[in-house]
Amino acid sequence: MTNKLVYAAALGLAVGLPALPGTAQAQDCTTKIGAVLPTSVDWGRPIAETAQFAVDQVNAAGGAAGCEIEMVLRDTQVDPKVGVDAAKALVDLEGVKVLLGAVSSGVSMPILTSVTVPGGVMQMSCCSSSTAFTGLSEEGKTNGLWFRTFATTGVQSAVGAKVAADKGYKSVAVLYKNDDWGQDMARLIAADFAAVGVEVTTSVAINDGQPSYRAEVTEALATQPEAIYLALYPAEGTAAVREWISLGGTQNMILANSLKSDEFRDNVGMQYLGAALGTDTASPRSDSADAFRAAYQERFGSEPNGPGLANSYDAAMIALLAMEAAGPDASGPEIAAAVARVTDPNGTPVSADTAGFTAAKEVLAGGGTVMFQGATGNVRFDANGDVSAPAVIWSFSESGTEEVEYLSLPEVDAFIASLN
Amino acid sequence: MIQNLIDGVLTGSYISLGAIGLTLVMHILRFANFSHAELLSLGAYVALVFDALVSALVPVFAVKIAPLSLTWALSAAILISMVITAISALLIDRLVFKRVREKGQELSMVFASFGMALIIRNVIGLIFGLSPELYSKDIAFAMILSRDPLILVKPDQIFVLVAALVLMFLLHLVLSRTTFGYSLRAVAENPSLAQVNGVNLSRTIMAVWLIGGGLAAVAGVFYGLSHQLIPVMGRDLVLPIFAATIVGGIGSVYGAVLGGFIVGIAGNLALVILPSGYTPSVPFLLIIFVLMIRPNGLFGEARA
Repeated sequence: MTNKLVYAAALGLAVGLPALPGTAQAQDCTTKIGAVLPTSVDWGRPIAETAQFAVDQVNAAGGAAGCEIEMVLRDTQVDPKVGVDAAKALVDLEGVKVLLGAVSSGVSMPILTSVTVPGGVMQMSCCSSSTAFTGLSEEGKTNGLWFRTFATTGVQSAVGAKVAADKGYKSVAVLYKNDDWGQDMARLIAADFAAVGVEVTTSVAINDGQPSYRAEVTEALATQPEAIYLALYPAEGTAAVREWISLGGTQNMILANSLKSDEFRDNVGMQYLGAALGTDTASPRSDSADAFRAAYQERFGSEPNGPGLANSYDAAMIALLAMEAAGPDASGPEIAAAVARVTDPNGTPVSADTAGFTAAKEVLAGGGTVMFQGATGNVRFDANGDVSAPAVIWSFSESGTEEVEYLSLPEVDAFIASLN
Repeated sequence: MIQNLIDGVLTGSYISLGAIGLTLVMHILRFANFSHAELLSLGAYVALVFDALVSALVPVFAVKIAPLSLTWALSAAILISMVITAISALLIDRLVFKRVREKGQELSMVFASFGMALIIRNVIGLIFGLSPELYSKDIAFAMILSRDPLILVKPDQIFVLVAALVLMFLLHLVLSRTTFGYSLRAVAENPSLAQVNGVNLSRTIMAVWLIGGGLAAVAGVFYGLSHQLIPVMGRDLVLPIFAATIVGGIGSVYGAVLGGFIVGIAGNLALVILPSGYTPSVPFLLIIFVLMIRPNGLFGEARA
């Protein structure tokens, strides 16, 4: 409760006093950027506060592209309709050229297709993971205006394939949740298994809320796989796996991060999960990530443990760096094009704070490029605006889960590259 | 294929038990009771509580009846649950449905049953949490009946099937051999005429709820034994149970039994023909198919 009050007070201060007195240079102009985030849900508010934190740091360095930055924040209520309306208002009425958000893929997508792309505004999401965006970009429908600092489900499926390859499984059956996420995972994992030479014997959709998964499990079992890949949520995962084991199915399991749950472990039983390995994306173990943690702690008085905080910070910071690189009065596409100049692996490394932004300004003014070392590590976007992320392979233990292997960002990237 | 057929029969056994109660209520009280499947959850959770209670009070009972995963404690809990669920069904009728029946129309009853379903489901969720519960965390392994083609059956499933058939046979005896069964059928045919002939209407309605509730409790426990207990299990089961009732013909106990097995088998065989994502459509397709050929269901009769 007290924490929430502190947050609210911090936000109030930040929003109420955009022009902090005593900043490096007095600015006589203000540039607005937009943010559409689900501030009405408890985990959404810190994401917005973290973005504002980045904006404050940039303003302390004298703003971006010669002007003070004001972040105009609108609530999406995790509702596509509300999100689109909010984004429309920001683009049409406030005239923003940069839009941060949204969190859910289902909200980000309609904003992208109906507001930012038609309006020529750069959109940078902290948290949308759907590979539908990658597909849209490959079709050339995002005009290069879309970026996100959250890794796609592709990282997770690639690591799943790595587990199968490392374990030497020759054939794997896939059980997946029959929703957008599960279908996405099933499609990705099938391609990744094929790339590492693991045969997918069958891919069976598990529908929510069915009285029995016996038939589905029987179908997978009939193909006699050496291992099973599960992209399921705990409730139906428990039912399906118990059925699977009782019918004598293999206990070699590869689990998506959705099954990283005590409920699943307890109800299936540790004695059957000894050979189960899970995958998940991880936060980076780099100095810049630690620095962010420390800065966040100092500002908000707690660890940045909520979902998407580091990603939100980096999204805001990169967007502002790109505005700086694009120069005054740049259009959305110009800012989007400048993202490459601030996330250049061969550029001058800059830290994620006021000093880093000041340093970046000098380099960019001299026509150079910078490598932003952010809260999620050295962010690098691919051609579709996607980022990669470090990953962990985990297993169940008596007390919860334990890490089996940590894959750093370069390792994940190298592995994904080897798949293609 | 053979495996799917066997699984279908075994799944059908608890759907049938649920459908029997529903078909009686729908026929005699003339309304589609969407809360009937919640009686299954109620029965299953009541049994969960008493299973734990009996095991704690009489530790000797916590022993499994080999080769089943069913314990003596759970067997006792099933009987207790049948009584409690039956009484609950009666209470729900007294508190809600009876009042709506006297004042409202048929459609009001349907809405009342929807509301009742939501209340029961959420109260269970509130008390037990939304995570799945299990009678026994041990996994009961299947027996291999044949290696080629591979046919696997769990001992629990055989028990469920046999127990369900025994219950159905007992009900058959009651309905066909006793005066009570006769009066029950009379009320179903024509309530006014039955009353004129001295059948106590309110007592018959009471009996219908008790039978329906008791069988629902058993069906719920059998479902929990085969799968898992989850507060939304009523929601998951309501469609198969309705499909079984409609396919069998509303009012026909034998139709409900057959309908249950048909729905169970169709659900399991569906995967042979359909991609796994489309299997939930099977009960709907089945209803449409049967009603096109026999508008009153397989055993149903048109009534004025």
